[in-house]
Amino acid sequence: MSKMTYSVPIGPVHPSLKEPMTFNFKIYGEHIEEVCLAPGDNHRGIEFMGMQRNPVQIIYLAERICGICSASHPFAFCKAVENAAGIEVPERGQYIRVIIAELERIHSHILWAGVAAHELGFDSVLYLSWKAREVVLDTLEILSGNRINYGIFMIGGVRRDISTEQVSAIRKTINYYREVYGKIEDIFLNDPTIALRTKKVGILTEEDALRLCAVGPTARASGIKKDVRQDQPYSAYADLKVKAITPDVFTGEVNGDVYDRIVVRLLELVQSLEIIEQCLDNLPSGEIVAEKKLVKLLNQLKRVKGRGVGRHEAPRGECIHSVKLEEAETPEVWKARAPTYNNLMTWVPMLLGQQIADIPIVIASIDPCIACMDRVTILNKDTGQKNVLTKKDLHELSVQKTRRITP
Amino acid sequence: MTATSLFVIIGKIMGAIIIAFLGVVIGLFYKGIDRKLAARMQARVGPPIRQPFLDFFKLMIKENIVPQNAVPWIFNGAPILSLVTSITILFYLPVGNIPPLLSGYGDIILIIYLLTLPAVGMIIGGFVSGSPYASVGAQREMVMMMSYELPLVTTVIALGWKLSQVYPQSNVFSLATMNAHPIWESVGPFGFIGAILLFFALAIVTPGELSKIPFDAPEAETELAGGLLVEYSGRNLALFELTDAVKMIVMTSLTVILFFPYNIAHLFALNGVFAFIIDSLFFFVKLVLVMFFEVTFIRVAAARLKIDQVSYAYWVPISLIGLLGLTFIVLDTIIV
Amino acid sequence: MATPMGFELLKQLFKKPATNVFPVTYYPESVLELLEKVEKGEVKIHPPVEIPKNFRGKIVYDRDKCIGCKLCLKVCPSNAIEFIPDTKKIKIHVDHCIFCSQCNDICPKDCLNMSEEFLIAATDKSSPDLIVE
Repeated sequence: MSKMTYSVPIGPVHPSLKEPMTFNFKIYGEHIEEVCLAPGDNHRGIEFMGMQRNPVQIIYLAERICGICSASHPFAFCKAVENAAGIEVPERGQYIRVIIAELERIHSHILWAGVAAHELGFDSVLYLSWKAREVVLDTLEILSGNRINYGIFMIGGVRRDISTEQVSAIRKTINYYREVYGKIEDIFLNDPTIALRTKKVGILTEEDALRLCAVGPTARASGIKKDVRQDQPYSAYADLKVKAITPDVFTGEVNGDVYDRIVVRLLELVQSLEIIEQCLDNLPSGEIVAEKKLVKLLNQLKRVKGRGVGRHEAPRGECIHSVKLEEAETPEVWKARAPTYNNLMTWVPMLLGQQIADIPIVIASIDPCIACMDRVTILNKDTGQKNVLTKKDLHELSVQKTRRITP
Repeated sequence: MTATSLFVIIGKIMGAIIIAFLGVVIGLFYKGIDRKLAARMQARVGPPIRQPFLDFFKLMIKENIVPQNAVPWIFNGAPILSLVTSITILFYLPVGNIPPLLSGYGDIILIIYLLTLPAVGMIIGGFVSGSPYASVGAQREMVMMMSYELPLVTTVIALGWKLSQVYPQSNVFSLATMNAHPIWESVGPFGFIGAILLFFALAIVTPGELSKIPFDAPEAETELAGGLLVEYSGRNLALFELTDAVKMIVMTSLTVILFFPYNIAHLFALNGVFAFIIDSLFFFVKLVLVMFFEVTFIRVAAARLKIDQVSYAYWVPISLIGLLGLTFIVLDTIIV
Repeated sequence: MATPMGFELLKQLFKKPATNVFPVTYYPESVLELLEKVEKGEVKIHPPVEIPKNFRGKIVYDRDKCIGCKLCLKVCPSNAIEFIPDTKKIKIHVDHCIFCSQCNDICPKDCLNMSEEFLIAATDKSSPDLIVE
């Protein structure tokens, strides 16, 4: 007997999704038989806009790729341009960059914790964790002048120095989180209803994670020790010896379920606090930016010819920016790859066989950022119809392009 | 027909209208209190207490959309069925010293049947909406109904049986009798434990009956976008909101009547009108307390369960607790 | 619900809410009426949260110092700055501004600065409040 399935569309607008994205499910009873992802509802053409601006302007565009990763994208972009132009960032600048990036990680993980709790119908945890998040946002505001979209990154360093008062403000924040962390951990990991909803739900096996190139906490929760800060240390991370966190540190085993992803993110919170503390202890003195005169920097960048790649471990995973400068005011190519793009396909093995009720939390568990991820939409100009490109099509297109640019 | 019986009938009709009106107003008011308390626990300011009234009036002036796939007369009839049946239950509930309007015409068994009808109305409304979300919600609501019925009935039967042993001559399932003889007074130590277990079972059934977190799988905002109610708007949604408010009063009153029917007027040596007023006020205070622990607190302190977990929770642990309570009550009677 | 969260919630019930009730606790019957009353001084509004030093608020332009070098136009990511060739001065459209303060950094004469003003919402994009010149 064939199963009588029915289809349930989730998205593009749905309360469990914070950003537009379409899922088509085939459901049998309450169980998911088939998953079909259809991204492409949130393409903004940011890269195209960037290619009409000079690198200094692009920093702010990169910041706005994602509201939450507004330090990660400029970080990766600045690294890419520095890589292309051969600019060396002064040590103090590197440390300040890491401090901002780690503060952002704290803010992003707490935000995620709240959203995940909301997806479970546990709104009290949402309010409690977001209340705790305010403190780190205030700290970032003290450091950069804004709560989100910090505008602190600059090609060759950072724009604002950290004064002694600000150092004490950061230390106060760290102490606050050390106090609050116990409470958050207790609530998340010891609550019976949260455990019921997250244990053995949305399992991503290590093989699947490797096969689908998962990154960030999603991969680490499946037991893959993968972290750009550990594998290819950059900036101040090189001095700090960051270790990738897998859930077996806490629970003793790796299941790769939603619960493990909560564990990993909570442990990373503590790790971030430690990194910031170490950075503050060893904060070197000196310049914060390689080239202070912006006009000079712009002229320097105008003369650069070359490619550059910047990688950064964003709160959600590895974020890569690639830049090609061709002795012009504007870069010829700017490509951003957000971590969600890699983690997208991990939804399929996670969701298959689960219940309808698991959809929101499983979707939220990779901490998706659709706005970051949506990079390309293929539209037929005449009919206005969207096309889906398969792996074969993409391969063919890239071969064509390679032939075109290397005659 | 004599003039007196006509007078009685008119009186009952007037009473029914007044009770329906009061039930709705008090229900919405309690909903406001519920939201305020929940907000304060979550460190928010929360909406003003009159917010449910504002919501209701706003919904009433909104457009009433009937989806293309729906069957209009059933779709529009379902909320009315739900509201009417839930208000009907109010006629059988005593408030403090005041006997129910229809006392003698129905007992708690009838109330248990009536309690299923608002849910049935919602299920019908969900199925005819023609939306996959609403269909899934309606399926879940059916599963929930089948699940929480056993512990609910166990509780009522146990209490009724105990009363029948102590007061063999009275109508044990009538709410007036239950209201007059608190369970705690007629049981020994064993029965006391049993009654506590039964109270616990009823306290867990209440959020299920009201579709509140953790048992709000049929409405599940983040999964089904409102589930059963997803296609409802305007007046129909307002009627469902009222049903919810009235059901909250009904369920909390049921707990109060079954387990805390105490009055305080005699403590102040009051009688007549004052006794009625004081007892009624005390009744409403008890309602707030019961609502706080059975609905508000549970709602903010738990995550939403999946429907299979809900079903399991009601069929196995809560039913067991109910049956254990029943056993204790029986043991109490046999031993003593 | 004897869970860690349960105790936390009961404790919170007797504490003050964390919400900053700016500008008023409850949504008013009419926002415009409220604004009028506030202007007349009949109603007091709660103050907004304090802002830190070096906050990036609405831009301030020192017209006399400006030499019209157009460097700020070059770095503005959102093209919020318009150059008026007749006067050789600039005009900043705050509705376009993203408050990055990049123009402040590049200005050779230091005639652009960020103020602490952030209550600049307006219903009209081209209202005079949103144009700095």
